[in-house]
Amino acid sequence: MTTLAGQHQPRSISKSIVNRIKQRVLAKRGPMTPPFELAYRHIFVLPSKFGLGFGFMLLFMALGALNFNNNMALILVFLLGTIAQMTTLIAYRNLVGLRIDSIHAEPVFCGEPALFRVFVTNGGERQRFAVQAGVNEPQDCRDFPLHTSKALQLAQPTNTRGWRELPAFRLETRFPLGLFKAWSWIFPQSRCLVYPRPARKAPPLPRAGGGESGNAHKGEGDQVHGLRKYQTGDPMQRVAWRASARHDELYSLEMEKPQEEACELDWDSLTGCDVETRLSILAAWVIAADHKQLAYSMNIPGEQVAANSGANHRAQCLEMLALFKS
Amino acid sequence: MSKAGRFSLDRLGILWMIATLGISMFPQLLSMPVHLVPITLLPIAWRLLAEFRHWPPVPIILRIIATIIAVTALVMTFGGLMGRSAAVSLLVLMLSLKLLETFSVRDVRVVTSLSLFLCATQFLFSQGIMMIIYIIASLLSALISLMYAHRREAFEGLSEAPDTGRDLFTELSFGMRLMVLALPIGLTLFMLFPRWSSPLWGVPEDALDARSGLSDSMSPGSIQGLFMDDSPAFRATFQGSLPSRSDLYWRGPVFWDFDGTTWKAGYLIRNLLADSKPELKRAQFRYEIQMEPTEQRWLFTLDYPALVPTGTRLSMDYQLITNQPITQLRTYAMASDPGFRDNPDLKLPLLRAALELPQGFNPRTARMIAEWRAETPSDGAMIQRALAYFNQQNFHYTLNPPLLSRHTVDEFLFNTRQGFCEHYASAFTVMMRMAGIPARIVTGYQGGWYNNLGSYILVRQSDAHAWSEVWSKGTGWIRVDPTAAVAPERVEQGSVDSLAQRRHMLDFAWLLHARNTFDLLQRGWNNWVVAFDSVKQSRLFTNFGWGFFDSMKLVIAMIAGILVAAAASFLLMPLILKLRSSRHQDPLVRLWQKFNRKLGKAGFTTNPSMGPRELATMAGGQLKYADEGINRIAELYILCRYSPTDGDPAELAALIKGFHPPQQS
Repeated sequence: MTTLAGQHQPRSISKSIVNRIKQRVLAKRGPMTPPFELAYRHIFVLPSKFGLGFGFMLLFMALGALNFNNNMALILVFLLGTIAQMTTLIAYRNLVGLRIDSIHAEPVFCGEPALFRVFVTNGGERQRFAVQAGVNEPQDCRDFPLHTSKALQLAQPTNTRGWRELPAFRLETRFPLGLFKAWSWIFPQSRCLVYPRPARKAPPLPRAGGGESGNAHKGEGDQVHGLRKYQTGDPMQRVAWRASARHDELYSLEMEKPQEEACELDWDSLTGCDVETRLSILAAWVIAADHKQLAYSMNIPGEQVAANSGANHRAQCLEMLALFKS
Repeated sequence: MSKAGRFSLDRLGILWMIATLGISMFPQLLSMPVHLVPITLLPIAWRLLAEFRHWPPVPIILRIIATIIAVTALVMTFGGLMGRSAAVSLLVLMLSLKLLETFSVRDVRVVTSLSLFLCATQFLFSQGIMMIIYIIASLLSALISLMYAHRREAFEGLSEAPDTGRDLFTELSFGMRLMVLALPIGLTLFMLFPRWSSPLWGVPEDALDARSGLSDSMSPGSIQGLFMDDSPAFRATFQGSLPSRSDLYWRGPVFWDFDGTTWKAGYLIRNLLADSKPELKRAQFRYEIQMEPTEQRWLFTLDYPALVPTGTRLSMDYQLITNQPITQLRTYAMASDPGFRDNPDLKLPLLRAALELPQGFNPRTARMIAEWRAETPSDGAMIQRALAYFNQQNFHYTLNPPLLSRHTVDEFLFNTRQGFCEHYASAFTVMMRMAGIPARIVTGYQGGWYNNLGSYILVRQSDAHAWSEVWSKGTGWIRVDPTAAVAPERVEQGSVDSLAQRRHMLDFAWLLHARNTFDLLQRGWNNWVVAFDSVKQSRLFTNFGWGFFDSMKLVIAMIAGILVAAAASFLLMPLILKLRSSRHQDPLVRLWQKFNRKLGKAGFTTNPSMGPRELATMAGGQLKYADEGINRIAELYILCRYSPTDGDPAELAALIKGFHPPQQS
């Protein structure tokens, strides 16, 4: 036991004590993992920095007014004090009853910020104003009119591939005067997939046809094969706008499938670099192949994907790379 | 934060902050020396222009220079930074200069908060009832400014604009609601909050500006400014009989020493205390005076005061002089006996002081008095002759007399013959002294306006007056008002009504009348709010039957009350919340819960996870005797719940009501 305690540095001890107190205080207040509704026990109210300063000014004014028995000044002080006090309740009511529905984040490439979208619903007791969200500092702010649902965005920096957890964050408000801050901790169990950072100087895309890199251009100049009715899921670029306008119905261009063979994105073809660099290069290749609308297969130690193309395929490949464990 | 973003964000916030500052400094702008006003307004104008023309903040060097210039101007005007006017003017100037660098939310908040502080300092100068409007306006404007500052802070740096329009109307009504809701609590606090019976620190005397009322010297023309001033000097509420108009001479500073131009109170005489004062039981008039602060030391009374309030002394010439300058509204009870004999025997040094005249002044008057004295040896006849002279010669009562130079009395008596009370009193007193009759000058107020609604006499600064007193052995000092000999209407009608033309543009009789009537509100405000102190507070508590509270106990009681309230809310709040949540909205659920409670009492503990049928089977198994009833209720509940057209909730309610399973012991 003594050895355990001895391992901690003083700073981390105090930090861990604070954390433990926080955990203990928060543990009694029920689940705070979405979806849940902010209730009385979740919400804390304390004066903001400005509120403290304002309070000191009021104290000073009250002292002067009492000393000179200046009753109008005293009335002003008491009115201001009462208003300030009332704003604690208003701030609390601005949060209580809000429902945190869910938190979503689209996968990002390493280095880009992970954007967590926190969906919050105002059930409709009253309007809410300037509800902010942030991990340390408030990052986003929204008004919530009656019966609305909106997303607050939390951006988290990413440095490594894999899952990026959203740490505990706060939903807070300083409505209406900024004198008091009401907040609630939220412990999300949501994470964002971070793809490997695509290599900037990746080797050229390996082509099945023995490295005929000249073919790449041919693939782009695809001939239009014909028109067909629009189906959900067709990319916007392929909608035949003119034809659609003529027929009052949406039409998509049917493209001629490239007749080339699929490229093989092979882990083993990359030699002489470490794991992360390999993953980066593979990611860059996936992007490039997808961009050129080529079919590609991928092969990494322990896993293989058959040749295919499209958004789902791309996502599958990138996820494999992101979660690769050597 | 980009430059453009910083300027474009919530212009309204900046404008409301400027409005708040403008409202808060408005009374000070009116009372400040005129040349400081443009210096104060300049930075505000700059900030307004900067807002619309997107100017950047002023460089720090320029700001420092502007500050130095402004403070120098202020120090040169006031001769230092001591004194309330100077200090508050400094605050106004600094706040105004602060606008040169006010661009961030933080600065907006600082300026708004300090504007509220400035607002509080204005009550050092006036606590009149009109200040309520001032309080409301500045408070509302400050609230709106803070609300905009908060919104700006919350949405600052976001690409998306706030999606709910909180427009001006929303903010205004919100601010108003805040104020109205705060009013009852604020006023309760005001009444209950313990007051200090004596201040912790006093007002330094050099901080006073002696802003209104009579002064401690008099030279002809010196109280001229007072005639323009319609602000109240004091209010007197009489018990019993009202004095007649000719008795309404409110005694103030008394002057003995004359240097040819100026009358002054002799230092010695002012510090001599009265040997005797009227007996209280013989006092004919009993009244209470509510006196506006003068920052001087005189209390005003009718002749002659029979009471000496605490903290005052009665001088030998019956001035009531306070130990401390009167900086707050002051109320004192007074009784007066007009029949009292003032010093029937005068000691020789005092007699000399009452006869002394400077050498080499007013030779013509001296010659005339010497001629008169030869013809009329009796003192009484001399007085009558002097008054008759004023009355019969071509003298005019006017508030705009020509200026007098060295021989003030000569010029007045023989050349200009125009003047008001000071001129007549001064000339008459000099004439009496030349004739060997002891005489002195008394200043104060004469008359007043009787407010029928409030049954009190309102005396305004414009009622200021000066008269003479002459002494004769045996009868003592007797009041003689030479102004009454010239303009009897001055005494009968009051100073303002006796004038032929208006004093200024807005000087209408009906307006003054309306103001006199309106003063009733001001008096009530004074009584109930401005003069509310620890004494009135304890009196209020006594009326409520809490006479045992003094302020120390009150502090303890308040702290105890807050603790009890906090503890109660901690204990009760979860309970209240539980109650609220357990009281289900759906009437069917409430009925079902009631049924479950009844089963519980009978000894069958229900489980929320049980469906109605399951519950009925289990409960029926356990409570066999009630099997039938339980099943019927469960079936009806299911019917009501899932087929509302067939089930009748009223029937279910009746069934559950009539369900009485035998209690299990």
